[in-house]
Parts: sequence; C-alpha cells; structure tokens
Amino acid sequence: MDTDYAIMIRCTECGSSQYDGALFCGECGGNLWSKRQRQTTILPFAVETVPAVPPSLSPDGAGETATPSTVTFVIPSSGRRVTLEDVRQVEIGRRDDRHDVEPGLDLSPDDGVRHGVSRRHAIIRFTGRGAVLMDLNSTNGTVLNRYRLMPERPYLLRTGDEIQFGRLLTHVFIE
Amino acid sequence: MLRIDVQTSREALSAGDLVQLLYLLVRISPEEQFWQTDLPLNLCLVIDRSTSMQGERLDTIKRAAALLLDHLAPRDVLSIVAFSDRANVVLPASHIQNKTPVLTSIRSLTAYGGTELYHGLTAGLSEMRKADLKRHLNHLILFTDGQTYGDEKACLQLAQRAAGRHIGLSGFGIGSDWNDTFLDQLVAPSGGQSAYIEVPSEILTYLEARLDGLGSVVAQNLRLELDRLPTDVQVKAGLKMSPYSQPLPIEGGRPLSLGHLEGQVPLTYLLELSVGPQAAGTPLLIPLHHRGDVPRHQAFDQAFTQSVTLSVQEGANPLAPSPELLEAVNVLNLCRINELAWQAADEGHLDLATTRLRHLTTRLLQSGHVELAQMAQQEIARVTAMESLSDDGRKRLKFGTRALFVNGHGLRNHD
Repeated sequence: MDTDYAIMIRCTECGSSQYDGALFCGECGGNLWSKRQRQTTILPFAVETVPAVPPSLSPDGAGETATPSTVTFVIPSSGRRVTLEDVRQVEIGRRDDRHDVEPGLDLSPDDGVRHGVSRRHAIIRFTGRGAVLMDLNSTNGTVLNRYRLMPERPYLLRTGDEIQFGRLLTHVFIE
Repeated sequence: MLRIDVQTSREALSAGDLVQLLYLLVRISPEEQFWQTDLPLNLCLVIDRSTSMQGERLDTIKRAAALLLDHLAPRDVLSIVAFSDRANVVLPASHIQNKTPVLTSIRSLTAYGGTELYHGLTAGLSEMRKADLKRHLNHLILFTDGQTYGDEKACLQLAQRAAGRHIGLSGFGIGSDWNDTFLDQLVAPSGGQSAYIEVPSEILTYLEARLDGLGSVVAQNLRLELDRLPTDVQVKAGLKMSPYSQPLPIEGGRPLSLGHLEGQVPLTYLLELSVGPQAAGTPLLIPLHHRGDVPRHQAFDQAFTQSVTLSVQEGANPLAPSPELLEAVNVLNLCRINELAWQAADEGHLDLATTRLRHLTTRLLQSGHVELAQMAQQEIARVTAMESLSDDGRKRLKFGTRALFVNGHGLRNHD
C-alpha cells in the first residue's frame, strides 16, 4: 500500500508509523485501538526501534504513600506466572527460613540460587504516581530493561518492563 | 443453506484522500445442523518412506494408517501410496471389505531412499482419479519429514490442478527438516491444512482430527471471489481461523480457497483490507461473493453472498472491534511479526530478527502464552550465542502462533 494518499498513525510504544485503521502495531505488536493503552503502556522491547533511554529515577524517591496494586511476574525460564493482588509493595528475593527472610516474590522455585538472586534482592513499591523499583544492594545486582540499576536508588517501573534479578529474567505486568 | 455473518473493525469509514485499513471477520455456518458428510470419502494417504522416516515415525504412521481403516464406511474409497525416490502403490483405490491384506501391506512398509514428493503425489492423485470425483469428497493426506528437491514447482502445479478437480490436499510435516513454506503453498490451492508434527505420537491426533472434519463436511470447495470486490478495496492478508488456522495467500484476483465447511465448527476467516479514498455521504458496499458446493441440496458451484455496508463520514471515526475480531487480528499480527523476524534472519539481519523476536516474546507473555514465549526466547539466546536460528524453533513458533486462535487460549490482557 505505497500510495501517496495513505495517512499514518504513530505507535506510541515503538514510534513506528502504522496505517489508519490498524488495530495492532505491525512492528512491535502494540495495541493501537485502545486510547488508554496508548497513554499508559510502554513496553521494553518496543523502545529498541527508537533511541534507547536509561530508566528514570523516581523524583519522589521510594518514600511516597503506597497505593494497592495488582502485579504479575512472568518468569520465562521456569514458565511460572505469579500474581499478587492488592499489594502496596513486593520484596523480591529467596526465602530463607533460617534467617527469617520471606519475600513476597520468592524466586527459589525458579532456580534463584543458580541465577544469583540474593535473599533480599530488590523491592517494588506502588505509589500514586506509579511503581518504583529499588535494588537492595544485592550481590549480583538488578537490571531494568538492560540497564544496571544503582543500588538503593528508586527507579520508575512500567508494565511490560523486563527486570533481571541477578541473571534471572522476569517480566512484570502492573494493573 | 449457509449462513454468513460478518464483523467489521469499524462502523464507519473516514472521508477524504486517504487509505485506511479495515478488518472483516467472516463466519460461515450451516443453517441446519449436519453431522455427517453426504458424499462418500475418496481418501488417499501419501506416506514419505525415505530413510529418515525409519523407526518411530514410520511405525506411528503405519499404526495411524491401520486405525484409519476403522474410521471408513463401506462406501468410502481408500488408497495408500508410499514414496521415496520412487512411488509404490501400497493399496490401490478400493472399498475396504477385508482389512487383513491391507494391514499386511501397511505393516510391510520399510524406509529407504530420498524424498521425491512429485512421484508420491502423482501416484496418489492417479489412484484418486479412479473414483468418480464428482460423487465423492476427495482428499489427499500427505505425511513427510524431508525436503523434496528440484520438483517443488511441478508439485505445486499438480496441487493446483488437483484443486481444480475438487481434490483437497492436507500436508503434515514431521520433525524439523521439511520445508514449511512449500507445504503451505502446496495445500493453499484447495484450502487444505498444513501442520507441524513435533513428535510422532501426534500423528494420530492430527489424522483423527482431519478425518473427523472430513466426515462432517457440509459444503465443499468454498472460495471467495476477490475480483468481485470494489476496485478501491484490496485484500492485503487473509487468515483462516477455524476449523483450523491456515494462511490464505493472496494471488492477484484469484479466488481465495477456503476449503470445506465442516458441520461441527463454523468456517471463520479474517481479511485485512485496504480501502481507498472515499467521499463523505456515499456508503461503501463491500459484497463478499462466495461459491461452493452443498451436496445435500444438490447445489453445485452455488453462489453465497453477504454484503457489508459502511457509512463514510467526515473526521476520525472510532474503531469498534469485537473481542473476537480483535483476537483474530492480534493472531494475524503476531504471525506476521514472527514471519518478519525469520525473514530478517534469512537475509542476515540478525539484530533485526532478535528485536522482532523480543517484541513477539513480550506480546506472547502479555497474553499468557508462556510456553511459546519461552521458545522465542530460546531462539534469541541462540542468535546471541551461535548467530543462527533453529529449524525446529522456526516451525514451533510459526505453527504455535498460528494456532493461538484455534486452540481457544484467547488472547488476554489486551490492555
């Protein structure tokens, strides 16, 4: 359809041009029909077609009032999908009864030890302005959309983001 | 006789000098419920017996062929052909009265030689022509695990001619070494099914499903006449969604072969249309002219038409897709992203292939299809480590993505 008449709409997720009437982006698969989707979701892989930007530090830090949210983690290597409903924050790590560590998202079943996940690895807080991810000075670090995070600093997290705890890849979807 | 329902992605088109996309989800179903095909079956099994089929693959096909005998009615006609460098007629076209000698012939099959499909197809079609094609529902089912060399073009011409004689063709590829693009092309003229059989144990499942489908055909040789569409409406892509998922290749103005309408499941297909500039106030009429045979009503080459009318208005018109249409378009789009990824890899653009596979992974995860997403990630890891993609990964992703709609997984979490 290489006609001069074609008008294009822009996919807000990857920035590619799509024909009017398209329901999904032909480049990244992003949803083009839902206005809400266009405004709120930026997926990690999508930004590869536009200049990549490092994750943003949260201006208000991690101290803002928490808002209950539902969050789903997908761990591709194990196929596990974990949904936590109405949580204000989630600690991510490995359960260790001897040291009384019981994280909200326990990555032990996903071979967390082998993947270098610390017992207390990171924390996600849900605030009125969005979700915030903070590495808890873990041994092997946390990577958000391929950027290694500075420990103990709050970063903005969006639905669809890719987070690597140590070497364990997860995807996070926030409602 | 047949009921045709059409869903559109928008209720109105935008006026002006622009081209816009429109999606139609077309569902064809019988007006009354039928459970059995009216015509006797004329079935031919064409089996690849090349050396690579040795062991479990050929053994399972032999078991499947034996089970097939139990599925057929006395009025049905069956023939079996095995091929490698040459073809052997294992069972000439006949009504099965005594299973014992047939079973002995099937069990005596051994694997040897290379894969030259043309010989197998020629012998199979020749057997099928021994029956009165007009008084049977004719279908050839091919099982192969290898690539045929040098005779692809001749095979495609054969499939085209067979479709003209109302002989359907379905092809099942076993393992990872066969040519999936070729098999898609081979079944396209008759609207047949092509599928990937990952492990031999699935052979029976696929064969039984196909036989169940063929045993309940209400209307056959259905096709959509593309040259009857308005000149400013062009079909960009087509995907059959049910009873099985199959791409509908667009070749100029040639009719789109939709295959059979099976009694238990509606025939559903999706069209992606580009619509040229429209004037405000003049509605656009899109007639969908289908043709096909309904043997029960002695209706042959009968026309079945359903038209869609869209108003044309100034300004932007909102999209109004139903969840089902949205799901179908999403599957079409995921198939396309997957195809583009592999195309990029074939052309040596591994970075681009990886990016597209990552997009695919994200969308599959978002929809809850973790297993398929894992496959895509394995391919990404493979590119990183070895700078190549795998043949079985290609097929698993291609056929897995294609089947998302049929498997009824639904595509959740659109938002």
